[in-house]
This record gives sequence, C-alpha cells and structure tokens, in this order.
Amino acid sequence: MSHWSEATQERARQIISRYPEKRSAVMPLLYLAMAEEGHLSDEGMEEVAEWCGITPAQVLSVASFYTMYKREKTGKYLISCCTSISCMLLGGDDVLHSVEDESGVPHGETDADGLISVEHVECIGACGGAPAVQVNYELIEGVTPEKGRELVRWLEKARPEVVNTDEMQQLFGERRSFDWAIAEHDGAIGPYPAFQPLGTVGDEGGS
Amino acid sequence: MTSSDNINLVLITINGVEHQVPEGELLIKAAQDNGTYIPRFCWHPRMNPVGMCRMCLVEIETPRGPMMITACTNTVNDGMTVDTENPAVKKAQEAILEFLLANHPLDCPVCDKGGECPLQDQAMAYGPGESRFVEIKRTFEKPIPISDLVLLDRERCVLCARCTRFSDEISGDPLIEFKERGNKTEINTFPDLPFSSYFSGNTVQICPVGALTAKPYRFRARPWDLRKIESSSMFDTAHPRIEIHASQNEILRYTGVDIDAINHGWLSDKDRFGFEYLRSEQRISQPLMRLNGELTEVSWAEALDVVATRLQLIKDEDGGEALAVVGGANGTNEDAYALSRLAREVLETPHVDARMDDALSSHFLAATVDRALISDLDEADTILVWGPDLKEEHPTLYLRVRRAAQELGKTLVVIHPRATGLDDRATHKLTYRPGGGFALAAEIANGDHTDVVGALSLDRVVALVGIASYGDGPRLAESVAAMTRDLAGSVKILPLNSRSNTFGALDMGLAPDLHPGRLAVEKPGRDTAEIMQGLGSGEIRGLVIAGADPLRDMPDPRKAVEGLETAEYVVAVDLFHNDSNAHADVILPAAGFAEKEGTITNVEGRVQKVNQIRPAPGSARPDWSILDDLAAHMDLPLGLASAETIAKEIAESVPLYGGVTHDHLEWEARDGVVVPMEGSQPFDYVPVVLDGPQAPGAQLTLHRARTMYDDGVRLRHCHHLHRLGPGPMAHINPSDAPGLGVKAGARVRVTTSQGEGEFVAVLDEGTPPGVVYVPVNQIDGSTLGTDPVVRVRTVDPGGEP
Amino acid sequence: MTTPLLVTKRMTEYPTDSHTIDRYEATGGYAEARRSFSLTRDEIVEEVKASGLLGRGGAAFSAGLKWSFLAPARPSYLVINADESEPGTFKDRQLLERDPHQMLEGLIITAVANEVHHAFIYVRGEYAKPARRVQQAVEEAYAKGYLGQGIFDSEYDLEVIVHLGGGAYICGEETALINSLEGLRGEPRLKPPYFPAAKGLYMMPTIVNNVETVSNLSHILSMGADGYTGLTDSTDTGTFMMSLSGHVNKPGNYELPHGITWRDLIYDIGGGIRDGKELKTWIPGGASAPWFIPEEHIDLEITKDATASAGSMLGSGAVIVMDEDTCMVRAAERIVRFFSHESCGQCTPCREGTTWMEMILRRIENGEGRAVDLDLLVDVSDGISIDLAWPPKMTTICPLGPSAVSPIIALRDYFRDEVQEHVMRGGCWFPGAVKPGEAGRPMASVSGESQAGIPEGDRIEGSP
Repeated sequence: MSHWSEATQERARQIISRYPEKRSAVMPLLYLAMAEEGHLSDEGMEEVAEWCGITPAQVLSVASFYTMYKREKTGKYLISCCTSISCMLLGGDDVLHSVEDESGVPHGETDADGLISVEHVECIGACGGAPAVQVNYELIEGVTPEKGRELVRWLEKARPEVVNTDEMQQLFGERRSFDWAIAEHDGAIGPYPAFQPLGTVGDEGGS
Repeated sequence: MTSSDNINLVLITINGVEHQVPEGELLIKAAQDNGTYIPRFCWHPRMNPVGMCRMCLVEIETPRGPMMITACTNTVNDGMTVDTENPAVKKAQEAILEFLLANHPLDCPVCDKGGECPLQDQAMAYGPGESRFVEIKRTFEKPIPISDLVLLDRERCVLCARCTRFSDEISGDPLIEFKERGNKTEINTFPDLPFSSYFSGNTVQICPVGALTAKPYRFRARPWDLRKIESSSMFDTAHPRIEIHASQNEILRYTGVDIDAINHGWLSDKDRFGFEYLRSEQRISQPLMRLNGELTEVSWAEALDVVATRLQLIKDEDGGEALAVVGGANGTNEDAYALSRLAREVLETPHVDARMDDALSSHFLAATVDRALISDLDEADTILVWGPDLKEEHPTLYLRVRRAAQELGKTLVVIHPRATGLDDRATHKLTYRPGGGFALAAEIANGDHTDVVGALSLDRVVALVGIASYGDGPRLAESVAAMTRDLAGSVKILPLNSRSNTFGALDMGLAPDLHPGRLAVEKPGRDTAEIMQGLGSGEIRGLVIAGADPLRDMPDPRKAVEGLETAEYVVAVDLFHNDSNAHADVILPAAGFAEKEGTITNVEGRVQKVNQIRPAPGSARPDWSILDDLAAHMDLPLGLASAETIAKEIAESVPLYGGVTHDHLEWEARDGVVVPMEGSQPFDYVPVVLDGPQAPGAQLTLHRARTMYDDGVRLRHCHHLHRLGPGPMAHINPSDAPGLGVKAGARVRVTTSQGEGEFVAVLDEGTPPGVVYVPVNQIDGSTLGTDPVVRVRTVDPGGEP
Repeated sequence: MTTPLLVTKRMTEYPTDSHTIDRYEATGGYAEARRSFSLTRDEIVEEVKASGLLGRGGAAFSAGLKWSFLAPARPSYLVINADESEPGTFKDRQLLERDPHQMLEGLIITAVANEVHHAFIYVRGEYAKPARRVQQAVEEAYAKGYLGQGIFDSEYDLEVIVHLGGGAYICGEETALINSLEGLRGEPRLKPPYFPAAKGLYMMPTIVNNVETVSNLSHILSMGADGYTGLTDSTDTGTFMMSLSGHVNKPGNYELPHGITWRDLIYDIGGGIRDGKELKTWIPGGASAPWFIPEEHIDLEITKDATASAGSMLGSGAVIVMDEDTCMVRAAERIVRFFSHESCGQCTPCREGTTWMEMILRRIENGEGRAVDLDLLVDVSDGISIDLAWPPKMTTICPLGPSAVSPIIALRDYFRDEVQEHVMRGGCWFPGAVKPGEAGRPMASVSGESQAGIPEGDRIEGSP
C-alpha cells in the first residue's frame, strides 16, 4: 500500500533489484522519498522502511546520520554556502552572510514561501574555486558577496524549474577549480541531487 | 563457545602476572575472570562488542612498541602482554571519563541510578576528580516516554548502544535507535512508533547510566535502601532467574539474573514488572464464607471447620469419587504436592487435574523421555518450532531460539497458522489453516515440503512443540514429535504448555493419570473438562479449586459454566476473586509469589528455589499450610510442617526428585537441578498421523492464541501492565476484507458454534487469507471456544470514513 | 618537471570531449582492460605491486599489497571510493567529471585482478554533476559490452552500481563506506575483526580503492611497472594529483611528479602568495594533516617519507596555503569544527572532544579566552590522540578524531603567542574579525553554540 506514484515505485523496484541486499537501497530510496514530497517526511521514511524490510526507526537512524536528507520542509532552492577552511580563507563567511541577508533566511531555515532554504556547509570539493556555493547541489565557484546577492535575487525572480550549474557559473561565478570544458543542459529540479537513476534530473535546455 | 571441550589455553601477561586463558576470548573477559577488572560502559557479555565508549583502553606490547587497544574488541592471543594501569592507560581512562562527564547532568541526587551507577562508580575509581568543562552543557527535553513502561532522559545517555543492540540483537524489535550524529547523536524512537517491545525493561537494567528508567520504579526508592533476594519468575514457563528488590515489605522491582542455563539475565516485561498485583488492595486477606448468599469474612477455624465438615459429608455419602480437585499449576511444587496428597489421601478422589483443558496430554508433557534442555538449542543443527508463538507465550524460549538462529546461525523452522515473532529469523516458515495441522504433519512425513524435510533430516534437531491453535486439538504436538523423530538423526523434544508450574504440578501428581514422580495411575480419574461435566450432572458434588480460574482459562468455558453453577459445594484457595471462585461457598486466602518459599519446575524439568521477601496480606497463608490444616480438620493429617520439610519429603518419596532439597538448591545448585527423565515410565508409541481434527472446508477458519498481555487475573491487578494487551480484536487479511465487507476499525460480530462476540476488525498481513485471528482472554473480549468454523459480519462500520 | 601527464593527459589534450567513450577509445582507452583478460590475476597484482602505486585516498598504502590481502572467500566486492570530502581536496572531482572512463577502466582491471563481479562506485552526494558523468560513462560502457554480462566478449560478468552518498565525510573511511553501502549509518567498523579484505561488504572480502588510484591502473599496465617507476627519481613512484587552494595566486589541481619541493609547489606552480603577502603556514595533505611552516619545511621534498619524518602526511594531496593575514585561531577553529561536524559520534573522545575543542577555540576567537585554554586544548587533544604523537596513538576506532588534533599541534608549536595574544587582547585583530561589542555576526557555527558562558571568576585579567 504505497503512497508513491507508480513511476517512483517502479524506480524503487529497479533500484532494489540492483543491490545484492535490499537494505542497501535505503539511501537511494530516501532520495526518492524526498523527490516525491520535496523533503523527507515521516511517511516517506515509513515507506522506505517497508520497501527495505527494516523498521522506520532504523530508517530514521540512517537518514538522520547524513546531512542531505532534509527532514524539515525545504525550499524549492536549497542554497548551500561552503564555509570550510579553503572557502573561509577567501571570504566564504561573507558570501554566506550576503546570501542570508538578501534572502532574509538564516542558516538552517526556509523562507515563508517555501522558495529558498539557506545553509552553510562543510567542504564541497570546490576549494580551488573558493568560495563556492551550491544551489540544489549544482555548483557555482568563485562567488563574491555581491554575486551571492544577485544569485538570491535571480532565484526569486527567474524561479528556474531546472537549476543548471553551467548557467549559474556563467552568471554568478568566477574562478573555477579546473576547466569545466563543455556545458551541459541537465540540472536539478529540487533540493536533492540531480541523478539519472533517481529520476531527479531536469533538462534546462528543453527538448 | 558453550562447549567446554577442546578449549585451548594461551598464556597472557596482565600487569606483570601470567595467566592461562581460553584462546579467542575477549581480553576484557579474560582479565576479569583472572581478577583484573577493566572499566567499561558499552561492553556487555551477552552482546556483540562495539568498542564505542573507549573506557576499556589498555596497552599491549607489539613489535612496534606499546599500542593502545580496547579490551572489549580484541581477543587474547598467546604471549600477549597487557598493561591495564600504567600512566598512559590511566591518562586515557581519565580523559574518557572527563569527556563523558562534560555533558552529563549533575542530577545524581534525583536519579534512579544514583548509588548503583557505573558512571558514578567509575568516575570515583578512575576519573580525574574535577571537570574543566566550562561551556554550556548539551540539553534535551527530558524525560520522554519511549514506551508504556520506559522513560528516556537523553541528557544522561552516554551512547553506549546497549539498548539499541539489545533491541536489534537480542529481542529482535529494533525500534530504538541512534539518531543524528556526532555531538548531536541521541537515542530515540521513530515518531509515534514507541519502543513497544515485550522486552523493553531489559534496556533499563543494562543502561549504565540513568538514561532509561522504568515507570513502575521511577523515584520509588534509593538503591541502598533495598533488600534483595534471588528467586525465579513465575509467569514464564522457563522460570527465568530474578532478583527481587523490596523496601519495607513492598516489592519495588525485579532484575534479571544471568544464569547460563535459562535467561542470560533477560526478562520479559511481564516477568519484570508483573509484581504489582501482590500489593493490590483487591487481595483476599481473610477467609470468606457465603452466609445468606454474601461472602463474609470469617475466622480460619470457622472456615476450615465448615469446609472439612461439608467435604467429609459428601465423601461419607458418595465416596471420594464425588469430590474433585482442579488447579495447582501456578503455585510451588510444595503446594502442588500438598494438594495432590489432599486429593488422593484425604478426599480419596482420583479426579485431580492442574490443566485447564488446553494442554497437551499429561504423559507427553511430563514424561517425554527425550525431553530437551533449553541449552540444547545452542547445540542443535535445526530447531523446529511448531506450537504457540514463543514471543507471546514463552518469552525466554523466544529469546533463546532467536539467539540460536541469529547469533549462532542455526537452521530454524517455524510452523504456525499466522505470523510469529520468529519469522524474520526463520530459515523456513510454513503457514497452515487452523485444524489443518495433522494433514500438514502427514505431508511432511510423506516427504512433501522438501526444504523443511531437509532441515528436519539433519543430525541434531530440537523440536519445540505445543498447541499452535485451539483448532488443532491437544494431540497434534505428539504427532509432530513422532514425525520429527522419524526424520531426524537425533531428536530432543520440548513440549510446551501455558501456566508456569504445570510441569511441577504434573510431577507432583496433579493429573488424573499420574502419581507423583510421573508414575502411571491404573484407573485414571477425570480431567478438568470431565470434572466440570461431572459437576453439572451431579456425579461430582464437591470441588476444590486451588489457584485456578477454569471459567476464564478453559478454551470452551461453556463446559465450566454449568458445572460451577450447579456444583453443590465449591471451595477455592486464591489471591483474588475471579470468575470461577465467584461460585465458591468458601474462599481461603492464599499467600502469593515472594510471600512463601518453595521450589518450582520449569519447562525443561529444571527445579529452582523461589523465596519469600514480604509477608502475605492479612491472614493469607501458603496453599500447603491451608491444605495441611484442612486435612487435619478432616482427621487425616498430612503432617506438613514447612516448605522445606515438604521438599525433603518429596526428595525421599519421589525418586526423580532425590536430593533436590532447599539446602541443595540454595548452596550447591544456583542454576537449579534438572530432574532426570530416566525412571519415568515408558508410554505408548504415538504414530505420526493420529486421528485428529481436519481443516474445515468452510471459507473462514478461526485462529485463537494467547498473547503476552491479556485479562488474566494477576495482570488485571498490575497497574502498569493491565492495559497493554491488544484488546478485543479480530484480525483478517486485507485481501479478505472486501469479500467480508469489513473495513479496518469496524466493529464486527464473530460467531462460532461455541460462542460469539463483538470485536474490532484489524487488517493484518500477518494473518493469512481465509483465517480470522482472535487473541484469547482480552479485556472486554468474548470467548469463542475451539470450533475453527467461524462467521464474521460487520455490525458498525465505524473506523476510518 | 618534464614528467609526462598520465591521469590528466586526455582532459588536457581533448578538453571538450575527454569524458566520452568515443574520445576515450580513440585515445587508446579500454585496451588495457581488454588485455587484462589475457593476464593471470597474479600477473596483474604483481605488476601493480611492482609499480609502487600508493593509495591516493589519504592512507598511502600500497595498492597491490592491499589487493594481495584479499581473502579467498567469494563473492568478493569492489568499491571505488569517490566520497572525496577532505577539506582542500577536489582532485577526484576533476577525474570523475573529465575522464570517467579512465576510472572505469581501472575499475574493470581491479575487478578482474580480484575476481569481483559486483562493483560499486560510491560518489559523495554533493557531487551531483560528477555522479551524472560517471553514470553516463557506466551506461556507455554497458552499451558497448564493457560492463554487464560477458564483458569484452569473455565469460566474465561485471555489474557496476553508482551509489550516491548522503552527506557524511566519514563515509570516506572504507569501513564506514561499507556500512553506508549496506544501508546503515556510516560508522567505521572495528578493525579487528572487520578488515574489508576479509569481512567487508556483506561480510565478504572487499576491496576499496580511491578514484585516482584506479585511474592510474591503465597507465601502469600499458607502460609496465618499470616504465611507471621510471617516471621519477623519487622514492615515490609515478605522478600524483595535488589540489592547491587558499592564498596562492594559482589554485587548482596539478598532476605532478614526486620529488619536487614545497617551495616549487607554492611559489612556482602555485604562483606564490596573493597580493605579495608572506606565507604563514600551509597544510600539506588535507585538513587532517599537521601543518607546516616556511621556517622549517619549505625546502622539504614532497614525498610520503619526507613528509612523515617531518611529522605530517600527504594525505589526500590537498595543500591549503595561508598568508600572514590569516588568524590561526580562526583557521584552527574552522578545521576542528569540520571534524566535530563530521564525527560519527561512536567514540566518546571524538564525539565529545572535538566539540569541546571547537567551543574553546570559538571562545578564544570571540574574546572569551582564558590563559589556561591553550593547555586545555592540548589536554583535550591528548585524550583523543595520546601525547599528540605522529602518527597518532588513537583512543578512537578511526583516525577522524585524532585528525582534529592537527591544528592544535600547530597552535602549540608555532602559534602559541598568537593564541595568548587573543586572550590578552580580548579577541581577534586580524582582518574580518568580529570585535566584541561591534555590530556583526559571530563566526558561523555548525556543531556548537558560539557564545559560551565563562564564570566571572575564571576570566583572566585583561580580558573584557
């Protein structure tokens, strides 16, 4: 008696079938649950428990261990500002503060409209392009406080359905950790990683 | 490693002293067994080590110099050199304690654990003496209930994972888990899904701090004010070993005692918290006699005079055959022995039975010569459970079978009409319709169900057999035992029965076909059902009920109703008023558990001592003493002086109990004495396929079984346990619901040829299609008898709109 | 510096399509995977052993030796550790995004050498784009018959799953990663008894290798162990990736030969310190590594042994450079905060100690420091890493907690005066500091509260 869409259920079945033991599918299924509701609800965890043959308490135990399973209502855009050492050295804290100020959303919270959530995060592997920011785990490198403000305003105004790393880098980024070479059109459609097996990838270029 | 054979010893050096220790043993245990205590919080000898608290750090010598390791996660090896008290180790111990205390609240004065707290004790012994933590301590909302019986104070928690491991490794209901991570890590349950384990109280006992506390005990005592005495619990047929803690004659808690043979220290919550009935205001404390229709307090002398006179009169007029005795399965062996002697020597009746028409045959129960010990589970190749859901009815056996399957990797076969608590660990599970048990046994005997046949054909098989469903009748278990004997290399059988001291009662001769010592009676008397019938027909005129409630306990209570209503004279010995003794002419107040000494015999035939720690209320007395007095009033004195002398008399007159005296049990045999099966009389060969009930062709079949919590008289007077039962529920498979027109939560009328009643419908995947499962003896529940043919119709759709 | 590029060669020469299977095969890709079927398992293992290839995830253990420890029980599993999360490190991200087939070919070679038929690529959750690139590459390889059943027209089956992490640095530790893959909390397992080579994933023999490590394998097989070891005169063989970040003019990933010095790296390759500032300190191998200072370490060779004898490590190859305007208390706080935030919480010393250290450091930075606090920091560190020795004598299951001690060693040994000056001056005076009483925000806090109450009596004189 699943509450998930038939498509999500089919995806869950496929994911489980690929692992030697079904409990291993807990993490990808938690992302499916988030994609269904925009965040990870208690019902979502119960559903995952059912699929994986474990108790909801065990699912919660796993989900709460990791930072990306958001158990609170999360905005359509999750802005994650890195304030770890390399970003901090080059002004990551100032970028965070500018994003907080412009959006009016402090770390760990979501605005009233459910549009933007802000968090500061530990290292996201973009140290050569510090300071770095992610929107729905799509990366922007070399962000200044002013560009951080522009990013917030753009999200509020343009409200892109798909968040694309290359587009945002073009608009709000500068120095990169390395040459990204060619641009791609796919990106994130919610505050969870855009990844094909999860069905969470959107095509920004349209088709 | 349970076998003591072939253990290699290795030489290790602890703090400069050499010791021979078993190879492969954990260092922390090897050290402790040789007199060196290494402090610890997370390590527990009955659970897998996690090495989390780091309190047991010690230094060992390695070719690369000294190395710090945890003693709880490393096994000893030959030549190991260990230092448990050098400056580096001491520094580490002080550091760990300072870390643990950094965020620990200083509420020891009001903490239940204060005075028996490992954190307190080890802070004294190994701690730094002062805290340098000047930051703000971590705070949580406190305390929060995590179940009906257990409260959690997360501020006190040291995150040792004992409770989580217990629920996962031992009891098999992982509903309490770590949540969050790092410094925010806490123990918690899923929202609105409490730690509703039948074994939750164990987590309170093993918590090394005051993070988990039991509601029935919270704030009631300081540990140093408690008097303590060892005993064995009398709810569970395994008789798990307990310690009773009392203050000023009031029992405040039981704790589990770890004995290898039985419970490993674990208790079900029923066994742990099931003491509150003893202090109930409803206890009968004075003899009561019916005067002008009302039960009225009278003196013992008056009561016994009247009872003796009336019983004597019946005996004189119609002989002992007109009298009968039922009960005795909830008391001590000494009580049962007195009752048995009263029946046969004083009343001179053969009609005596401790069973309530819901038991296996007395010969099979008492005299199965290949009876298994609980510890045989650890040595088996295959374990077969075809009987009650052990989790509901035999909690200690449930934990031991689960351990054998989960930790020791034994093949487990479970056969039952619906889901059971062991299914998740079963290698093979067969489900059948109640009443279809004989047919299924025949199929297996014929080689069908090849997986199961294969598993049962291994060398060492232990079969736990009992009544899985009333619809199967009482003799299916014998058939299953015979089937297993035919298939397996070597077999041990553990026949199961409800009521804690049934085995002791049968050994003492409380059966129509058994003398004390399991000797066959040439001309058997009537069993309980036949006694009730005799009372109804007038062939039996007088009845003695000792600690029993046949009206509640007989699967088809219609059999008891007429008998008790028409009985000419009924004498009851009991703690409480109940449905059956409401028909009594005289009720004599009995001493309860922990109010008397004695011995009891568990499911495997192990005799243990139970002890007194509080006086009985009013003028209540032990059964044996009441019965002895009654015999004297009938001028046939039994000459019983004390429980201890009765035990001596049993040891002399019942050969199987030879040497089993109170002294022996107290001083020499702490784990009890297993009464040998040798010397039991041989019984008839039982064929694999008996004539028994067949699965009804009807569309719906009724499955009735007991649950751990029910409306039994003792639980009814346990404040914290009484309402924990499922209540009047009828479980059906969701696929049957549309056809029956039943929705979840609807009130339905369930009807059999023997009874009917209203229940709340539960849609339950664990109940197979075509089966209606109704737990027995629930609050506000009705009785339905044993007929598996059943009808269900909705009387109030209710439930969710 | 004439050493040829290996793992970054293709992406340098063909920037627009180095991640596609067409380009990969057009430049000789998958030849070594195909050839590995004509070799015995022992031959591959011996070749890799002889190449001297060291694991590039941080522990720098011989990759070939690690393989040779694999227990005989089957099935065996392979996990590619792409959970790159060590602060300062971003090399694997580039290898995953820009040349995923190179990593896949290494995966196939590793699988064949170790009889693995079920492999996993564990990509950190925040690496969405790298994960997509890897997934595309896996699908391309399946379509070509290089993964799946009967790969390369052999009888050999190899299934590969790309598994996305959930946001937890500790899952880079191989036993934590295995727990995570099993659908458990990412807590490191006890060693003994749970050595992955014997009791790994699903309690079966398991190899966990880093992305960069396996990305080297096709090159080692193609040039042979001799060719690979001949690339440098240094004690360490082949090339290595370094992620350079912080106050250098040219941050980025560099594939380098072993044997150059820190001066070469920071001043030549990294272009020196920004804005003409002076170098104050650098972290030679990711946030876990003890820090170096120019006065003592600038001319050391960048090798495993030279770094170790100077009391640090190359770790994940992340070099974080700090200039003279950097506050050491703040830098230490930021690194300790990371470990506190990422502590799994199992071990008492790590769970409690790292948070305590973080709170003390933040207190000092915010002007509430006490003269005793540096000694207290050292003592707390001592409880996690006995005597602050190198390599650490851990009181914990895994090295995460002891890693948090590295900045404290630097404060104790090199920057004691700067810490005490924070105490005396009532806080920080470096650029960007929040002065007490001034408008502004306290430092970002992830795991603890920034403002701690210090009883009046415990405050030292001169403190506000």
